[in-house]
Amino acid sequence: MKTKQNRDWEGVWVFGDYRNYFQNRVTLQLIAKGNQLARNLGVDLTVLVLGSQIHQYAMEYTAHGADVVMVVDHPNLKNYQVETYVRVVSKLVESFRPEIFLAGATAFGREFFPRLAKRLNTGLSADCVSLEIEAERRLLIQTTPAFGGELLADIITPEYRPQMATVHPDVFEERIHDHEATARILYPEVEIEAEERVQLIRSKPDQSRKGGLEEAEIVVVGGKGLGSKENFQMLFELARLLGGDVGATRPVILSGWTEESRLLGQTGKSVKPKLLITAGTSGAVQYTTGIQGAETIIAINRDPHAPIFKMADLGLVGDVKTVLSLLLENLKKRL
Amino acid sequence: MLQYSRLILMLKCPESLVSAHHNYLVNQMLTPGFLLGDPDSREGFYFLADVVPVGQSEPRVYARLYDAQGAFVLEIEPKEIVENPLGCVHQSFPGGYRIAFPSGESLLSVQTESFANGFLTRMQGKLYDQEGKLRIEPSYDAIQIHGEVGLWLKEPFRKR
Repeated sequence: MKTKQNRDWEGVWVFGDYRNYFQNRVTLQLIAKGNQLARNLGVDLTVLVLGSQIHQYAMEYTAHGADVVMVVDHPNLKNYQVETYVRVVSKLVESFRPEIFLAGATAFGREFFPRLAKRLNTGLSADCVSLEIEAERRLLIQTTPAFGGELLADIITPEYRPQMATVHPDVFEERIHDHEATARILYPEVEIEAEERVQLIRSKPDQSRKGGLEEAEIVVVGGKGLGSKENFQMLFELARLLGGDVGATRPVILSGWTEESRLLGQTGKSVKPKLLITAGTSGAVQYTTGIQGAETIIAINRDPHAPIFKMADLGLVGDVKTVLSLLLENLKKRL
Repeated sequence: MLQYSRLILMLKCPESLVSAHHNYLVNQMLTPGFLLGDPDSREGFYFLADVVPVGQSEPRVYARLYDAQGAFVLEIEPKEIVENPLGCVHQSFPGGYRIAFPSGESLLSVQTESFANGFLTRMQGKLYDQEGKLRIEPSYDAIQIHGEVGLWLKEPFRKR
């Protein structure tokens, strides 16, 4: 929404995405960051949460640093319907006029926020890896990878409000749960008569995701440097021996070497294993965004100048296939 | 012919406080505690849903209640009935309790739901003051208060 009077827009909002709540903490991480941004601007941090019977999330967001929790609790919001959600949230934004609105770059945020930004006629920076405030002009500096990850671009939205951004999981640290915390809670009265074009008949969780990549303590990741689908298969053997799981970079997915559900990075999953072995990956920002929570990283690459070595705890320079073969051979002897 | 959602945004926006630890659900809002009437007076209706301190999970409900004709029914404190001329009964069940008339008809039920990191108490009951005026009644899965709330609480009202 273009405005010459940006002073009319005040406050920092975070969208409370509680789906897959205990696996994905990005909303709590955004609350911590949003709270910091709000302090810099001298305003409140509001967390907006939509759904049905969502009391526990209002309490959880309070514990993690919300000044205000705005709740729209309605049976028709129980199941996420993008059209309804966009309509409700756009009305709330037009009424309350926050200057900044953030959401996690989850599957949900990636669908919902672009539509919302379009409805509000404002900009959106997707998959940000950093957010800062330029206090004098009350601008949100939204940093996001650009040009294939070669550059980090700082984006500002000087004329339109709200300033909207989605943020990748695990970029920011969440606060410690504070049981003593209290917050204001608002219940804007919204009436919805939902007769949507899309009707949800039933939903069931994807059983294959249980105990999968995001929860693995050891993750082995392959990049295009592995050279072939056959070489990539070595990673499954290595993961099996180590009791871990296998991830992949975007070029590997595009080459069809493995399924998309294994994609790590900016447009894929984020992992936080105790040990991550990354083989044949150069270290592009789009990929490393998804592995920066790993406790220990071992990188294997034939190029000693590959950026991946900058974040690795241990680097092995050599032909990836040769190193993996030796590793497998030794592991098989020991296990 | 399919119809799209119709949405009307009202300007009305009720507001309360929310605690990270424990809340009561009242008027379809979360609140750490509230007070109706004067709990320090020797007679007359009051209802105190007191703030539950961190480390405790059981709701702290104090009340002096009357019937629809304004006749005294009982006075309760957490876990007990302190004055009980009609012989009402206190029945505990997992996560809460119920107070019922000798006939079995329920007067007040209090149930607490545990979340991963907090607690929510829902109450049900049709409660009257000494003039026989309806002060609290069931609404959906909780209660609706009639008239003004004396005090929305952030800190425990009763320190003991």
